[in-house]
Amino acid sequence: MTRARWMFAMVTALLVSVSCSDQPTNPGSGPGTLAVRLTTPHGDDGAMTFQVDGPVDNVSAANGSLRLFTRRVDGSTVVGVVIGPLANGAIIMLHVPDVSAAEAYTASVREVADLDDALRASLVGYVLTVTR
Amino acid sequence: MRIAILAVFALIGATPVLAQTPRAGSWQDAVRRLRDAHVGHPIRSGRVAASPAAIIAESEPNDSIRTADSIALGDQAVGVLNPARDVDVWFVDLTEGQLFSVDVDAQVLGSPLDAQLVLFAPDGRTVLAFNDDFNDLDSRISFRVPASGRYFVAIGSFGGNTGSPLARYALNFGTVTCSGLGTEREPNDSPATATRIAIGDSGTGEICPVVERPTGDVDYWAITAQAGTTLDLAVDAASFGFVGDPILALYAPDGTTRLAFNNDFIGSDSRLQFSITTTGTYYATVANVLGFGDPFRYTLHVGTIVPGPGDPITVRAENLGIPLGLAVGNTGDVFVSDVSGGRVLRISAENRVTTFATGIPSPVSVAFDASGQLLVTSLAGGVYRVTPQGQATRFITDGIFPFWIAVAPDGRIWITDLGNRSVRRYSATGQFETSFDAIGIGQSGPGPLAIGPSGEPYVSNGTEIWRLRNGRFERVLAGQSLIWAFAFDVAGNIYAPLPTAGTLKLFDSTGVVLADPFAVGPDAPQAVAFGRDATGATLARVFAIDPQVGRLFEINPAAVRQRGLPGYVAPSLALDVVVAALLGAGGLSLADRQYLDAVGNHNGHYDVGDLRAYLRVLQGSNR
Repeated sequence: MTRARWMFAMVTALLVSVSCSDQPTNPGSGPGTLAVRLTTPHGDDGAMTFQVDGPVDNVSAANGSLRLFTRRVDGSTVVGVVIGPLANGAIIMLHVPDVSAAEAYTASVREVADLDDALRASLVGYVLTVTR
Repeated sequence: MRIAILAVFALIGATPVLAQTPRAGSWQDAVRRLRDAHVGHPIRSGRVAASPAAIIAESEPNDSIRTADSIALGDQAVGVLNPARDVDVWFVDLTEGQLFSVDVDAQVLGSPLDAQLVLFAPDGRTVLAFNDDFNDLDSRISFRVPASGRYFVAIGSFGGNTGSPLARYALNFGTVTCSGLGTEREPNDSPATATRIAIGDSGTGEICPVVERPTGDVDYWAITAQAGTTLDLAVDAASFGFVGDPILALYAPDGTTRLAFNNDFIGSDSRLQFSITTTGTYYATVANVLGFGDPFRYTLHVGTIVPGPGDPITVRAENLGIPLGLAVGNTGDVFVSDVSGGRVLRISAENRVTTFATGIPSPVSVAFDASGQLLVTSLAGGVYRVTPQGQATRFITDGIFPFWIAVAPDGRIWITDLGNRSVRRYSATGQFETSFDAIGIGQSGPGPLAIGPSGEPYVSNGTEIWRLRNGRFERVLAGQSLIWAFAFDVAGNIYAPLPTAGTLKLFDSTGVVLADPFAVGPDAPQAVAFGRDATGATLARVFAIDPQVGRLFEINPAAVRQRGLPGYVAPSLALDVVVAALLGAGGLSLADRQYLDAVGNHNGHYDVGDLRAYLRVLQGSNR
């Protein structure tokens, strides 16, 4: 191997390794985090149960003011309850094996209670959206 | 105007008033008397009219303010109420501060007239006083004149139907005079001038308001009592045939600290007991409940009784208004309803009194529900539910007149309803389940209510306690005094307050008397409850409230045989189980789910709002 060819091989190897090490935060594909964003018609939501369909490794609350409990129903469904002041925006983070499949994930609202613990009679206007 | 005066007689003197007055001896009557303790009615006493300065015959027509006949103080007016609905009106000029007296002689003269009197203010419309029967059927009004002016006295016949050509009357216009009879030595209106009386003796006197005593007549009696004795004071007036309404109080040796009070122990006569812990001179006072009114004579009996094993009692809090309901929370704090203040007070283990909730009209009984929230019955109707933060909302609204409330070990809510004399049962979340007709238990039942050792409701009908078992009422015990809000210990012993006797009595579970008195006073103990420690466990400590003196007191704990029944005990539910159940994993019984719903939004099922509330329970923020 000539010196020039050796240098080329080293640079190529470095590039490949860098590319591989960046992959977890790369929005392109592979494991990563998806956000579940809430759209709510109310300003005094205090708790919500939800369901997420799609392969999920783990679920966490989007911020420290929220308390989250989940239960895995099967390999592709997780149900959970998030308690705390809920507002428009990200409320849950999904840790998934392949972020490129975000469009395949769905999330839905099951129940909502207000800050006085009263159950919402209607869920009209509530939307959960899974985004990268 | 005659029509108007007739209407006044009709409105305030005849059936409508009677119809609006709770039946004597009923729970409503007892509560009304407590709530309206400051409201008085004209009273009478047996006095003889002085010789008149002049006798003035009526001059018809004189049946209106405009045509009233003139009379002067010291004169006697004479007339006939004829025809049947005739009304005669007289006017008299009075001076501010005078103690005006007008009384009828009719029956005493052999007249068939059953007279009624009304005193009108100078405006001719405002009714200042009314009297029907004072000396048998003959009427009398005594009245302190608030301002100089021309006042009007109307005389009519009861029901408008005893007027006739024979219905003669004489009206004596004068001022109140005192007889000066008795063993009291006026002036004795202060501790310094009190008339001395020994234990075992009786004293006689007269409550007679005079101009020189602008606050009314109060007779002080000085009694030297030894520590360890229990004074028993009784005043007789009404039982002598006088219609005076005496009140009785006992003051500490400082002459100003009121230790005990009673009004209307038997009829309108009063009686109190008090255990003396420090030897000294104490002061008993006798006065008129109205401050002013017709004079009356009385006898004061001073004796002692043997105290009970629960003596001496210890005052834990005072100035509680008129407390009727009592419950102990799961941290050991005591909660008391003040019917007069529309509030619930909280008394800490350190005896610190704070306002827990307001805005509940005339709260009566209190009990904690399955969610640890306080349920409060209201004389205005309905049951209120108070959050641990003190926010009150109407909770149960379908009863007619919910009176007493208790929560069973299964969390179910039991209520006695005076409206239809029933015992009603609700779920832990306040849904009506069933009702039991309790008219058959007799007397004024069902009244105060408690849950017994087997979870069955027990109710008082007045002097008896009945148990509801398998849908039927069974009499457990029969006493001789009114039994109010009693409580059970774990052995089933019944700790019963007897407000008219001024004592507490202890029965075993079969109704056998174990101690009578169990404890004494301070006046009219009305509800008892067992204490709890900071974890909510019941203790062998008994608290009681006395609405007459506005106090919470504790029975001598050495005499309390067992700890109290635990009542409702909240299930201990692990958070992961509670969450999993909400998310579809099961694992909770129906009772658990009902409990969680009761903790939360009590909408009939367990949901995310209930979990949110339960988290706060676990975090302790509702305590």
